[in-house]
Amino acid sequence: MLRKAALLAQLPGMMHIGTGLVCGTKIKDMIQAGFHFIIFLADWHSMINNKFGGDMEKIETAGEYYKHCFTALGLTEDKVEYIWASELASKPNYWERVIRIAKTITAQRAVRALPIMGRDMKTQDVETASLFYPCMQAADIFEMNLDVACAGIDQRKAHVLAREAGEKLGWGKPVALHTPMLMGLAGVQGSDKGSYDEDSKLSSVIASKMSKSKPENTILLHDSPQLIEEKFRKAYCPPTIVEGNPIIEYYRLLAFHENETVVLRRDQKYGGDMKFSSFSQLEEAYKAEKIHPQDLKANMARILADILRGVRDYFDKHPEPLEQMLKIEAR
Amino acid sequence: MSQEQRLELVTRGTVEIIQPAELERVLEEKKKPRAYWGFECSGKQPS
Repeated sequence: MLRKAALLAQLPGMMHIGTGLVCGTKIKDMIQAGFHFIIFLADWHSMINNKFGGDMEKIETAGEYYKHCFTALGLTEDKVEYIWASELASKPNYWERVIRIAKTITAQRAVRALPIMGRDMKTQDVETASLFYPCMQAADIFEMNLDVACAGIDQRKAHVLAREAGEKLGWGKPVALHTPMLMGLAGVQGSDKGSYDEDSKLSSVIASKMSKSKPENTILLHDSPQLIEEKFRKAYCPPTIVEGNPIIEYYRLLAFHENETVVLRRDQKYGGDMKFSSFSQLEEAYKAEKIHPQDLKANMARILADILRGVRDYFDKHPEPLEQMLKIEAR
Repeated sequence: MSQEQRLELVTRGTVEIIQPAELERVLEEKKKPRAYWGFECSGKQPS
């Protein structure tokens, strides 16, 4: 089992907590607020972006694994609808929609709205297929008749483009809802200096988000409590500083999103447990040097391992999707 | 659930809504509005 965990950590395509928890909890909020929610498995889009070398069979395997991850997080098929991009694209009018949208957008704007994750913005390296990407994103929204499109903030340009296209075509404007990008454990300092957006602040946020190329910088849904603890121990966490501190960010986005109150466990000799009923309380205490970075890190590791227990249990009972993912590499 | 509670649930933890007034209108007009999140099948979110 340990060996398998080690293998999994090196695999491309493993879900990390940025996707599983930031997106997962927001989706749960939306369902609770009465939304019909669709998790869209973008196989075509993955192919355009050359994920798994553009191999559709491998992409489907990864999509199935994704579906299992969300199911393990409580987003079962009775609560959300799962739709594959290839299902949507097989509808008779889909590609007409893509073309109609493409006709409202200049090539330059399409390039600028490209999914910017993990790539520098040099147009000479962009495949023409990539220009379809933002047009398809917009077409997906209208084809599924959506009121609200949710994504990380790095997708804002694609959503703005979809709104403009929809308005020009008389199809209406979807509301766009954007969540923050989750910082990697090394914080902003540990991220690459690539340019992902002409807005330099957004660019550094994207650069510091959990990058799959740095497993030690990322918590995967499958990480064992021991591994989570180990990764947190090495994480960037400057004393008294909250700005750009990934651990503080995890409390704000994860710990307080899942719980009303957060208890920091501490040895009696260091003052015993501390209870916080809001994030700002914890933030103030940290700034005032009332919490030691080691305590902050160790407790977040414990809270996270607790949140992820259900996922570990699910994959212990359903190992097939993980085994399929391991086979991808061998193919 | 009140409109305010629905709005609070939907907006909490977000960094941006384009546009908040439009979201409020959607929640007023529809009991079961439709929303989505797209995911590329390779760890990187979203599509």
